[in-house]
Amino acid sequence: MATPAGTASGHTSVSSYSHRRHHIQQGFFSRTLPFWLLLPALLVIVVIQVIPALFSFFLSTQTFERGDQIYVGLRNFERVFSSSAFSLSLFHTLFFLIGYVALTLIAGFVIAQILNRKLRLSPFYITVIFVPWVLSDVVVGLIFRLFIVPDYGLFSAFFADPRIFPPKGISILTTPAAPALIAGVPFPPAPALIYLIFASAWKALPFITLLILAALQTVSHELIESAAIDGADRWRTVRYITFPLILPTLIVALFNLTLTGVNGVGMVFSLTGGGPGTATEVLSYLLYTIGFGRLDFGRAAALSVFMAIINLTLILLTLRISRSEKEA
Amino acid sequence: MNSTLFASSQVYRARRRLAPWLFNGAMIVICFFVLIPVLVTILTSLKDQTDVQRNPPVLFPCDTSDGQFNLSACRWSVEGYTRILEPRPNPNALLGFEYIGRMISVYLPNTLIYAVSGSVLVTVLAGMAGYVFSRYRFRGRRALMLAILAITGIPLLTNLIALYRMGVALRQAFPGYEERLYVIVVYVGFFLPFSIWVVKSFFDTIPRELEEASFIDGCTPVSSLIRIVAPLAAPGLTSAFLMSFVGIWNEFIAGYLLVGKATLRTAMFGLYDFIGQFVIGYQVLAAGCIMVAAPVVIIFLFFRKTFFRAMVEGALKG
Repeated sequence: MATPAGTASGHTSVSSYSHRRHHIQQGFFSRTLPFWLLLPALLVIVVIQVIPALFSFFLSTQTFERGDQIYVGLRNFERVFSSSAFSLSLFHTLFFLIGYVALTLIAGFVIAQILNRKLRLSPFYITVIFVPWVLSDVVVGLIFRLFIVPDYGLFSAFFADPRIFPPKGISILTTPAAPALIAGVPFPPAPALIYLIFASAWKALPFITLLILAALQTVSHELIESAAIDGADRWRTVRYITFPLILPTLIVALFNLTLTGVNGVGMVFSLTGGGPGTATEVLSYLLYTIGFGRLDFGRAAALSVFMAIINLTLILLTLRISRSEKEA
Repeated sequence: MNSTLFASSQVYRARRRLAPWLFNGAMIVICFFVLIPVLVTILTSLKDQTDVQRNPPVLFPCDTSDGQFNLSACRWSVEGYTRILEPRPNPNALLGFEYIGRMISVYLPNTLIYAVSGSVLVTVLAGMAGYVFSRYRFRGRRALMLAILAITGIPLLTNLIALYRMGVALRQAFPGYEERLYVIVVYVGFFLPFSIWVVKSFFDTIPRELEEASFIDGCTPVSSLIRIVAPLAAPGLTSAFLMSFVGIWNEFIAGYLLVGKATLRTAMFGLYDFIGQFVIGYQVLAAGCIMVAAPVVIIFLFFRKTFFRAMVEGALKG
């Protein structure tokens, strides 16, 4: 065992070579440091995300009868896909997505264009616009529900007015969808679904605006000005210069909206509870009712695998686009 | 010819002077419309029961009996808040009151515990993993990062079906099973992949030369990470912390499905529960929204730049 004096002198003599010592005498721990740093994060992700996903995949091939678990192959998928509740909620999700994505992208693009003029108050405007983003789905749903509660909501009288909504006026929370134009396709959708689109767009708008604004700020000013000198009007400048340049970001925004739109369920819970009837029962809400309402985990897992495949496809497409953007 | 050029430049200049006003005006209108739902909710939360049940509804509870608007006749009320807080006089408590409403005594404290401990864990783990992805080159690095990104594409509900059954199995297998811990670990797993990417992109902006200099001065990789890199990466770590905090605070469906014990429920569950509990107590529901949302809105207003940066980084890099 070294004496205190020995260690002190040893230390001074080695310290000037300390950087070399590191490379020569790295211990086992130092050499494998990256592994130890990664391990906890990977462990949590595997336990909370990978294993449950695989387990859901496994559950989708099982059925539960009187406590027994039986392998049924793809029967759960057949039963889910052939049910009318599935096709209805697929259409609801589709209508919801089209409205939600279009509304948010257009409004976000317009607001980002204005903010990009570098008004002195732009930071203030962005902050104000961003407040909805920080609210939870449940809160947003509840806020919009309070607007339209029968009789006492601030907008209820407006919707109940027969002059604006013939023939009898509507009440968002109770008026069912009009009779379908095509059998089996719930079109036109119920007022509640359209209202849900507005509530969701309100919450998603800030993030999409910020995303588009960030992209607009990378478009060089010289380019816009030279287009103006060449005689392009404002619309043509947007159409032929701004739009193509920020297209990759718009597509990222589109996929982001689709993902949150397919997966979001909190707002349906607090705004409509899936109703009236099943008018706002989107896929994610149907998944909840099958899995946790009826406790049919096999079929719920089958539906969730279907949704996971949609999501993963979208994510991979986003990756493709953002990578090709980086190479360009 | 000359005069038309002059005229057009005059129009151009007038337009330039006018344009900022136009755009500012447009933005003020947009901001107002965006804020209407929030403002109306605040107003509703300050009315009493008779005023929320008026038909036709009134925006301000300030009309006199003959229908005139009069500021001195305003009937502002905190009934909505007191019905949630349920204050009881208690000489031993701070301020002489204790609050026994479930939202303030159970749900909000639980959510605070989940959000703080969950996001601390996310920040530490994402800091470690993000450092490795930013600094070390090893086989499978790119594949591993893409795999982590792809995992964010698995819908929450897909995992929740399995996680719910895993929770049930755990409860049966271990009598001393701590539900709170399970929920926190689940939240960490949900928010970790995104945070790793955000933190990694922040680490990428720190020059490697700083660390190399610290090695020469005798730092080990671990002490260099803690003393040199972590302080420089503080903005990135802060944004990972804040994003996860807001995410966990606002999360509803996982807390709703995974928490069985009534004493461990979250604030979002409590708010959802209120819808059935206060069917016509609209002022109570509005007050609940304000109470649950206020903490994260305040945090957002203080750290808005950090949020903006993290969001753009996360979305575009990812």
